[in-house]
Amino acid sequence: MSILYVLIPLALLVLGAAVWAFFWAVGSGQFDDLDTPAVRILMDDDKAPKSEPEE
Amino acid sequence: MASTDTCFHCALPNPAGSDFTVDIEGVVRSVCCPGCKAVAELIRDSGMSSYYSMRDAPEPGAGKPPEEQGEWQVFNNDDMLAAFADLDQSTAEATIYAGGMYCSACSWLIETSLTNLTGVHSADVNPMTHRVRLRWSHEVTGLGDILATLADLGYRPQPLAKDDSSRPEVAEQRTALKRLLVASLGMMQVMMFAVGLYAGDFSGIDADMQHFLRLVSFFVTTPVVFYAGRPFFVSAWRGLVARMPGMDLPVSIAIGAAYAASVYATFTRGPAVWFDSVAMFVFFLTLGRYLEMRARHRSIDRGAALSQILPSTTTLLINEKRTVVPVAQLAKDDIVIIRAGDPIPADGVIVAGTTTVDEAMLTGEAEPQARSVGEMINAGSINLDSEVQMQVQAAGSDTTLGTISRMSERARFARPAFVRVADRIASYVVVALLLIATAVALYWYVTAPERAFVITLSVLVVTCPCALALATPAAFAAAGSRFSELQLLITNGNAIEVLARASHIVFDKTGTLTAGKPALESLEVFDDNYDREYCLLVAAALEQSSSHPIAHAFRSDQVLPAVTDPTVHVAEGISGIIDGQSFRIGKVSFAAATSDDANSDKIVLGANGHRIAEFTVRDPLRLDAYETLLSLKHLGIELSLASGDNERNVAAVAESLGISDFRSNCTPQQKLEIIEQLQASGKRVVMVGDGINDAPVLAGADTSIAPAHGALLAQTSADVIMLGESLHPLVTALKMSRKTLRIVRQNLIWAVVYNATALPLAVAGLVPPWLAAIGMSASSLIVVLNALRLSRYE
Repeated sequence: MSILYVLIPLALLVLGAAVWAFFWAVGSGQFDDLDTPAVRILMDDDKAPKSEPEE
Repeated sequence: MASTDTCFHCALPNPAGSDFTVDIEGVVRSVCCPGCKAVAELIRDSGMSSYYSMRDAPEPGAGKPPEEQGEWQVFNNDDMLAAFADLDQSTAEATIYAGGMYCSACSWLIETSLTNLTGVHSADVNPMTHRVRLRWSHEVTGLGDILATLADLGYRPQPLAKDDSSRPEVAEQRTALKRLLVASLGMMQVMMFAVGLYAGDFSGIDADMQHFLRLVSFFVTTPVVFYAGRPFFVSAWRGLVARMPGMDLPVSIAIGAAYAASVYATFTRGPAVWFDSVAMFVFFLTLGRYLEMRARHRSIDRGAALSQILPSTTTLLINEKRTVVPVAQLAKDDIVIIRAGDPIPADGVIVAGTTTVDEAMLTGEAEPQARSVGEMINAGSINLDSEVQMQVQAAGSDTTLGTISRMSERARFARPAFVRVADRIASYVVVALLLIATAVALYWYVTAPERAFVITLSVLVVTCPCALALATPAAFAAAGSRFSELQLLITNGNAIEVLARASHIVFDKTGTLTAGKPALESLEVFDDNYDREYCLLVAAALEQSSSHPIAHAFRSDQVLPAVTDPTVHVAEGISGIIDGQSFRIGKVSFAAATSDDANSDKIVLGANGHRIAEFTVRDPLRLDAYETLLSLKHLGIELSLASGDNERNVAAVAESLGISDFRSNCTPQQKLEIIEQLQASGKRVVMVGDGINDAPVLAGADTSIAPAHGALLAQTSADVIMLGESLHPLVTALKMSRKTLRIVRQNLIWAVVYNATALPLAVAGLVPPWLAAIGMSASSLIVVLNALRLSRYE
């Protein structure tokens, strides 16, 4: 069980990294808009300009 | 081939007889005007037609481009750039308010088309605040070109001054998210260690390992308490200082005591720790607050309403030279030139020229007012007839318009009366709970001292009146956000409660039941030398040069005869020469040179002082007025009509809508008396109206509703503002209010039942702290989730 003395602090380090990464993401504005990204995936913006009405 | 009666792009009704179409992905759609046609074609040609399938149903008028485009090129010069953007070597950053965006598809459209421009690095759109954060190479593309692109898409762009870019709600949302994450991750970790500790209690655990797990739990719980839980301590302290202890006080005591006791037990190797209960408690509370905050933020940002009404640029006169500048740069004593048809950018005094202005936005007066040198004109009015020069007296938020919109903002953020009452009650409940907790602590200290702390802790946690305190505000916040999605803006929180109990609605006529836009009703020709078609053509041709609201009634799609020397006679009419004949249109006295006719509301076409034809211009009923009133009757509401208009017009409207109780020729005083009589007979009266004449009447009713296109002042005193063109939101508002009150009642009952059952159990020592934390949090979450059902209400 003594491996826990290593693994738990290690897990806490990973936790700290995750919290830091999240704070950075929030600070850079990635979470300001929680509504658009859900819809954006449905939009195809790679359609060629001047699409012909034949399809 | 026009097949539908509303515009495919902006959802406004298509004018009768117009035939603008656009071909989108093989389907021919009808649109209302050349502007919408151009926007729709632009969207199609850029390959972004999927915007139309992805967007929400448009608010009528959203995305409709203004008839005249602003002069965006002004923003391309370096001074402008420095005023609005943060400059780096080659990149610039600026924030732009995009008026007219209303759903996620809009933000996609804006992002995609802006990033397709050369030189634009990124365009981040925030649909919540309607702001676009731009990064671009300013040497490649000018700010003006970017604004022009937005305007071409039908939005109304407004670059924001640098310090306006950070919104308080964005900062609040970011902090709340961080707190929520710390609380949730922390809770998960601590729970994991707690499982180890509990298992150890049953099957035995190495003393060092137990101490280690407790230390780790302490290490993880500390940021949860002091970072995520900070708002509770702050607000509890504030409540104490104000001698109004809120529900955060017992919460803080419970968190603080349990944390302190656990820390003590950790370092003295005591019998038990409660880090898991603490972390869980903080997490659930933070989650509840977060959900409530999001509901609150969803109510649309109307703060930029001011910049919606004002133009973005204006023409400044410096040393006899005309320069186009952004309105934001206007200062006192500047001389500006206002062309006919343009909105007035600031408050000021006319120094040259004579004109009429449409002040409907400020005063509700639909009749244009004549103004000449030395007279005051106000920002937000529209210059109708001819170009004037104005000396600026006040600009921006110092104008009358600015003051009015500040007033309405303040009203919106004021806490409604019932919430204040709820807070007051909560503070008594809190004091009572603290007394009970003390009594419980004393009792158990005498009988079983080793259990006293745990039981007192459970009592404090389990009886936290959070659910009670959240029951009403959560429901109203959720209802408020749903209301704004349904085109209704609540400016006074009491309105929902009153609407739910309303029994009688009094309507104003003009601009409320009617569209407020005059249309041609009938035409009578007196001179046999002219036929009806010719009279209409002449009238349309003459009225072309006027921007008076009545001129809209004469709009025609026909090819119009050329007018030589058209002249607008302020507050009189228009004259001009057509086919060699000199015509006049306007008031009888002006057009026919006689003053014997009393029918002054008719518009007369005349030539050489001789009357040729008479037009009757009427304000038509709103399209859905009849259906709306019928639905209101089905809801058991009694209806009345009170109008300042004449007997004949009011009776006609009342009859066609099936209102039996109507009064005509009402002064505002009489309208107020009608409402007071109804109230005296025990009715709850809602007044629906617009215009300044209604402002005291609106205030006199139990609650009031104003259509958004009405006068701004009327909206300030109205409790609810209807944003769309349709009247139907009235019905929704009533149903929704009733539903809201039902949910509040359910919530209160649940909170009381929960507290009444949990308290005796906790006092008897049957509830361990972790269960108390779950119970209390679950009851609050149930209340919030029940309230959130309102945001799905159809």
